[in-house]
Amino acid sequence: MKTEIPGKPSFAYINVDLEPGESIVAESDAMTSMAADLDMKASFNGGFFGGLAKKFLGGESLFVNTYTNNTSEPKRVTLVQATPGDVVEIDLNDQNYCLQPGAYIASTPGLKLGVKWAGFASWIGKEGLFKLQVKGTGKLFYGAYGGLLEKEVDGEFIVDTSHLVAYEPQLKLKTQLAGGIFSSFFSGEGLVTRIEGKGKIIIQTRSLSGLAEWTNHYI
Amino acid sequence: MDVKILHGPGNSAARVWVNPGECLTAEGGAMISMSGDMNIQTTTLKRGKGGFLKAVKRMLAGENFFLNHYTPGPAGGEVLLATTLPGDMMTYDLDNESLIVQGGSFVACEEQVDVDLSWQGFKSFLADDSMFWINLKGTGKTVINSFGAIYPVEVDGEYIVDTGHIVAFNETLQFSLTKAGGSWATAIFGGEGLVCKFQGTGTVWCQSHNSNNFGSTLGPMLRARQG
Amino acid sequence: MTMVEEDKYEFQYSIDCKPDFAFLSVAIPESQTLKVEASAMATMDTTLKMKTRMKGGFGRFLTGESLFINEFTAEYGPGQIQIAPGSPGDMDHVYLEGQTIFLQNSAYVASTLGVEIETKWQGFMKGFFSGESLFLIRCSGNGDLWFNTYGAMIKIDVDGEYIVDTGHIVAFTEGLDYSVSSVGGYKSLFLSGEGLVCRFRGTGTVWVQTRQVAAFTSWVWPFRPVESSD
Repeated sequence: MKTEIPGKPSFAYINVDLEPGESIVAESDAMTSMAADLDMKASFNGGFFGGLAKKFLGGESLFVNTYTNNTSEPKRVTLVQATPGDVVEIDLNDQNYCLQPGAYIASTPGLKLGVKWAGFASWIGKEGLFKLQVKGTGKLFYGAYGGLLEKEVDGEFIVDTSHLVAYEPQLKLKTQLAGGIFSSFFSGEGLVTRIEGKGKIIIQTRSLSGLAEWTNHYI
Repeated sequence: MDVKILHGPGNSAARVWVNPGECLTAEGGAMISMSGDMNIQTTTLKRGKGGFLKAVKRMLAGENFFLNHYTPGPAGGEVLLATTLPGDMMTYDLDNESLIVQGGSFVACEEQVDVDLSWQGFKSFLADDSMFWINLKGTGKTVINSFGAIYPVEVDGEYIVDTGHIVAFNETLQFSLTKAGGSWATAIFGGEGLVCKFQGTGTVWCQSHNSNNFGSTLGPMLRARQG
Repeated sequence: MTMVEEDKYEFQYSIDCKPDFAFLSVAIPESQTLKVEASAMATMDTTLKMKTRMKGGFGRFLTGESLFINEFTAEYGPGQIQIAPGSPGDMDHVYLEGQTIFLQNSAYVASTLGVEIETKWQGFMKGFFSGESLFLIRCSGNGDLWFNTYGAMIKIDVDGEYIVDTGHIVAFTEGLDYSVSSVGGYKSLFLSGEGLVCRFRGTGTVWVQTRQVAAFTSWVWPFRPVESSD
């Protein structure tokens, strides 16, 4: 499999060149263009974990598509997320990784997706009740609205909840108020996520809720 | 006429230098800035059979199809053009040919290029009223934008493109709407629905992103409107 | 007419992900304070403490005209803060040394305490932009000022005369003469799609953005939820 991600960071999209026999799984509606002789099959996400729970609580769609190359030559499929922004490819080697729901775009069939309870505060912060947990061996493609930056946390760090995309599973996350009660609500910051431990997190440099708030100011 | 595309693929703008004697035709509402002595004239373009009222309705829906014609002063002049949505821009030099362009993707062209709204190629297939297609005919420079990055696909045989991702294509290509995947179930549940299969030889310019998908993702988070 | 310094700064900073999703990181020295646009904080070190200052009071809820600014102080030690505006686009920094810059209110991102920000000032031109939620603020004094653009940023050095659609104006230096008008008669105003334009005369710098809010809000209109009338 050969992959490349052009268009970074504002309109990143994924070109996947599948060798004969290879497959890639992608969230539904991610395909922009593909070779006419690739096979596409839709399947219910419930094969992973409670597809229905994921849709209403996790922000992912009910279905995924699997693209398989049953020809004798390499063929291309181009995949993308619904929002503009950056996309990252990571290789997992029998590891776990945690993602914001909605960040998932595609993965190789060896990775399993599950949901993890994220706590009530996450729901109040409009981020949804669940986080996506990815485990196994394979390639994962995820993205977000905005640019993506990596940060090494060592100790403690505060992230606005709508700017956190992914994090290594050993990090501890807690939700807290941004300031005192008055400050938190009138500052516009509200609830934030406090990260403790040692590991890498990925933040997005814009957020859909930030964009919505900015837009609402003008409509 | 000289066109330079700035800040692609995220927030493109076109910097056009218009020589004296030349005239630039551009979509209404696209101007960012211009030289002090540039002259503008406005014309309206009828869309198919719709009259003025339909035109206004389209304008309210965010689709300007009023055209502005920019003529510079005696020393020539500059016009900076932008678009409704963020994305990429490209220039294409027509050489006595036809380029079919998604309506929302037209930005500007040299005055002698014919901007024709009556192309009906997709009519029998797509009942989608919000999408319309422009036929740019003749010879001259054109400027086209997209939502997302533009990538060309050289078709020599067959290639499938999700209809929401088509920016422009050579009229020489054949196309048909087809269901993605083998079965209707896949088409409906897989979210891809109908896709466009291009056949023959020619280029399709695709956009990486789909503005309807972005709109549906952002929309629910916005303040409600009255009807 | 003095040009603003390009390379000087008070607080160390960096801007990543230019030009589409520009993201500002500022290092606040111990016990110093940074003013930041409300709800723009993306990440911060735990040594920083936030205080809310609602400039203009509750005005925002009533007229839509106000500028909300929070203050972050490095109370427990130096700390870094990362700032993300709501709209996608670019960011620029100017270091003011007694100069004045006029800025579109929604473009304000952050500033150090030495920069004075006035929302109502002498010569305040109501109706500079079409619509009420956009207005010009006046920034003057000594210190850092960061502002963002909706879309990519184009810096234009004006020497003579230049016309800019007001929806695309982000900032301009004091000393330029400006006058707002419609592009050419009523027909043009409605049919050409061009709204108000500003004619700049003299010598100075104008920052222009490649996107326009009005175009975005009309595009997004059909995707908004509909209010149920029962």
